[in-house]
This record gives sequence, C-alpha cells and structure tokens, in this order.
Amino acid sequence: MSGRWLRWLGAGVAVATVVFAVVLASRFGADPSLVPSPLIGEPAPEFALPTLDGTSTVSLSGLEGDIVVVNFFASWCLQCRAEHDDLVATAEAFSEQGVSFVQIAYQESPAQTLAYLDEAGISPAMRHLADPGSRTAIAYGVFGIPETFFIDADGVVVGKLVGESNALILGATLDSILGGDQPGETVTGDTMQRPSP
Amino acid sequence: MSERLRDTVYLVFMTITVVALAALVLAAPDRDDRVQELGSRIRCPVCEGEAIIDSPAPMARDMMKLIRQRVDEGASDEEILSEITSSYSGAVLLDPPAEGATLWLWLAPLLALAGGISVILWWRAHPGGTPGSAKSATPSSPRRRSRAIAGGLLVTLVLGAVVVAAGSALQDREGPGGGAADLDSVDPSLVSNETMEAVIGANQDDPSIDGMRLALAERYFRAGDYRSAFPHYLAIAQSGTAADETAHTALVRLGWMAYDGNGEVETALELLDQALDIDAGSPMALYLKGLVLWCGADRPEEAGDLFQAVLDQADLEDETRTEVSDDLAAARRGEGCA
Repeated sequence: MSGRWLRWLGAGVAVATVVFAVVLASRFGADPSLVPSPLIGEPAPEFALPTLDGTSTVSLSGLEGDIVVVNFFASWCLQCRAEHDDLVATAEAFSEQGVSFVQIAYQESPAQTLAYLDEAGISPAMRHLADPGSRTAIAYGVFGIPETFFIDADGVVVGKLVGESNALILGATLDSILGGDQPGETVTGDTMQRPSP
Repeated sequence: MSERLRDTVYLVFMTITVVALAALVLAAPDRDDRVQELGSRIRCPVCEGEAIIDSPAPMARDMMKLIRQRVDEGASDEEILSEITSSYSGAVLLDPPAEGATLWLWLAPLLALAGGISVILWWRAHPGGTPGSAKSATPSSPRRRSRAIAGGLLVTLVLGAVVVAAGSALQDREGPGGGAADLDSVDPSLVSNETMEAVIGANQDDPSIDGMRLALAERYFRAGDYRSAFPHYLAIAQSGTAADETAHTALVRLGWMAYDGNGEVETALELLDQALDIDAGSPMALYLKGLVLWCGADRPEEAGDLFQAVLDQADLEDETRTEVSDDLAAARRGEGCA
C-alpha cells in the first residue's frame, strides 16, 4: 500500500473525526424531548377512554368529522392550570364550528383530576377523560404536559402545541386548520413531568 | 471395546451434543427476557439517558406494562419497537438509528478502526519511523519496537484506568437512585437536587420520603422555582400520610404559590384555610392569608385582623414583627398593599 494512499486515508479519518466532534458538540444542551412528533401528517392514534366520572366512554372515531383538540393535562401541572381558562374559552368559542375539545388526564387518578376541575371550572364544551396505564399518552408520544394535539376532520394529526398555550395561539391554530392548513408543531414553553405520584 | 461400539458411542455423543447446541441456539428467549431486553432498548421519555427498565418514573413503568402486554399478545420485537417509535420517533431508542446525524455514531468505530489500521500499515511499511516522519525514518531496532509496544500498552492501561474510574464515579453518583438507600440515614442538605429527585422517584411509595420531598420542595420554593416545587408540595398534601407539620407547610406553600404564581385568590384562601385547620395559630399561614385578602381580594379589614392575630403571638422574631406591624398599619389606613 502506498504512502500517498495512507496519507489520504489519514486525512480522511482526521476530517471525519472533526465532523463527528462538531455533530456531537452541536447536540450538547439540546433537549432530547424536543424532537418533532412523527405523528404530524399521520392518522391520529385511536382511543376509547372512560370519562373521569366513569359514566361513559369517548372514542376518537366517535368524533369523526369534527376537528378534535386533544389536551394532556393534570392538576399538578402549573402550566396546565395557567392555560385552563383559555382552553375553556376557546372550546366554547369554537364549539359551533365543528371543533371538539378533549382533555385527557395524565399520570393522575380520576378523583384528583376531578377535584381540580371542580375548583378550576368545567365547561360542557370539553370532555374530560381518564387514561389508565397512560396508553393514550404513550400512543401520542407525550414527553411532558401540557401537550395539545390538533386532529383535522379526516382524523389526521395536523398540529401540536408543546407547553402552555393561550387563547390567541389556540384560536390562530384552529383558524389555520379550518382554513385547510397544517400548522405543524410549535413549542410555546416548558412542559412538566410528575416526579412521582 | 470394539470399533463398532466405539463408533456408536461416538455417534450418540455427537448427536446429543448437536441437539443440545441446536436447542440452546434456537430456543426462543422467554417472555421476561424479551420484556427486559426491549425495556433496556427504549429510553425513558421523561428521564435523562435512562432506559425504561431502569427508571422508577411512572411513565416508564407504564411503558414497561405496555411492552409486557404486547409481548403476551404475541407481538414481535420489531412490531413493539415500531409502535413506540411511531409515537416518539427514533429518538426514543437508546441505540440510535443509523441515519441522519446519528449515522456518525455508528461510523465512528469504523473510522477509528480505519485510522488504527492505517497507522499499523504505515508502521509496517516504515518500520523505523512514525506516521508523519517518513523522511526521518531509520531502520528499526528491537529496542525501539519494544519501547513502542510498551508505550502503547501504557497508554491503553491509563485509558482503561480512566474509563474504569469514570464508570465507578458515575455509579457512585447514581447510587442513591437505586432505591436501596436507607432514607433515614440520608441528610438532605448534603444531596443534590437531581439525586433527591432520583431517591424520591425510587421510593415514592415509602411514607418516610415526605421529609426529603419537603426539603427538596423548599429548595425549589426558596429559589423561586415554583414549577419544580409545586408537584412535591401537592404530593405531600395529597398523600394523607404526611405528618401534620409537613402537610401544614406544604399547604401554606401551595396557597402562596397559587396566589403569587397564578393569581388564584380563592384557591389560595382555601389552601391556607386547610393549613390553618391543622395549626390554627400558625403565624405564617395567618400572615399569608392576610396578604392574600389584602392584596388579592381587597379586604384590608379582614387582613388587618389576621395581622393582629400574628402580632398577638409572643415568640415572633423582631424582623417579622416589624414587617407585620407595618402591614397592619397600612391595612388599617385602607392603603393598598405594596
């Protein structure tokens, strides 16, 4: 093997090492949970979940034809509390336009979530569901809460908000979907994780 | 022993050996092995660099239950991994996919191997020199070769020692998260927030964890990090097993955070009342309830009564007494809170 060939090989290895180091360095400090959801543009995972009071079941397929907003929340999540009033207001404002709001309790017992909702306020424009075993949260790839998914009338996930939302962002996202657009994913702030139950 | 008998024994022995080896190789891993293997390949989405099988996080445990169920239903490993990655993307796998930016992670060992081979080939082609010093190459000598080999071994040993020491240090750091720690022997003041989170996560069903949980929540609270403090105070308040003093502190803090962090006056008053149900004379609960009434509900007269109740207590610190007195005077004058 010639020395020239080896020199080229050595130079190639050196360049590759530098590129490798740069790629690794560029990932330092990046939040691994901030990866784009692979669900955007895909059919929304089906769910059939009991309401928090256990009196009935709500399924995604049962809401077919509506734009469905799925919000994962819990009483222990400050951002969820902060966005609650805006979610309710938006749900009521869009209820006549074929938009259904579903809130799914995340990592919390139905009793605790119901106690919180009694205090925070319940609107008939919203459905509140339990998620035993976090199956639906896992199917939607939830990293932390609040996370809000937007599903169009064809059952395709067209948008996602990560973090605390407000009426302005919710309204703009829904207007965009009603106009036939796919708003995609937006990070609006931090999310929370429950360290332990 | 006749030759035929010997052949027969040999044949039987070989058959048994081959069958046993085939059984070992072909035997499907049992259900628990598969669940554990899958659990070790999936990153806990709510943790940092931890497999779901190693994580005490509720979300990780729910994911393990899901995997167990899917294995029982007869799903293949690929199907289960595909389901998880279709929700979370390939980033949820601890072994990253060989594509995009992570392709470099897979290529790195090959590049390192290529580099090493090129160095060896160079050395063999120029026995007396080192890469980059071809012109000064001199004939090799056994002593030089021995020195080079010894140097390589020394470097390998040092690197190995560093790796072992680093691994050991990391294990030591992660130790308390394993759940084996004696909670009563842990002094919270000496433990980092991250370690306390890990210990709490690993011992969430143990009532004696409330003390550490409160200590951690207090750290967050004093640093103004209400978001991190909130779930810990809430867990204490809802546990039903916390000591009165611990539950009282949690309720007082929750009440103040509800008002100060979220502007929720009614919630704050309700929580502070719950704290006062536990300790009716608590100066902190009385004072904070007074502040919420004065600043959040514009009820200075009721606030004044509560401030007075605080001042009626004999064992107040001077600084607190001065502060409450000033607030009482301002409330009595009908002034807004500062």
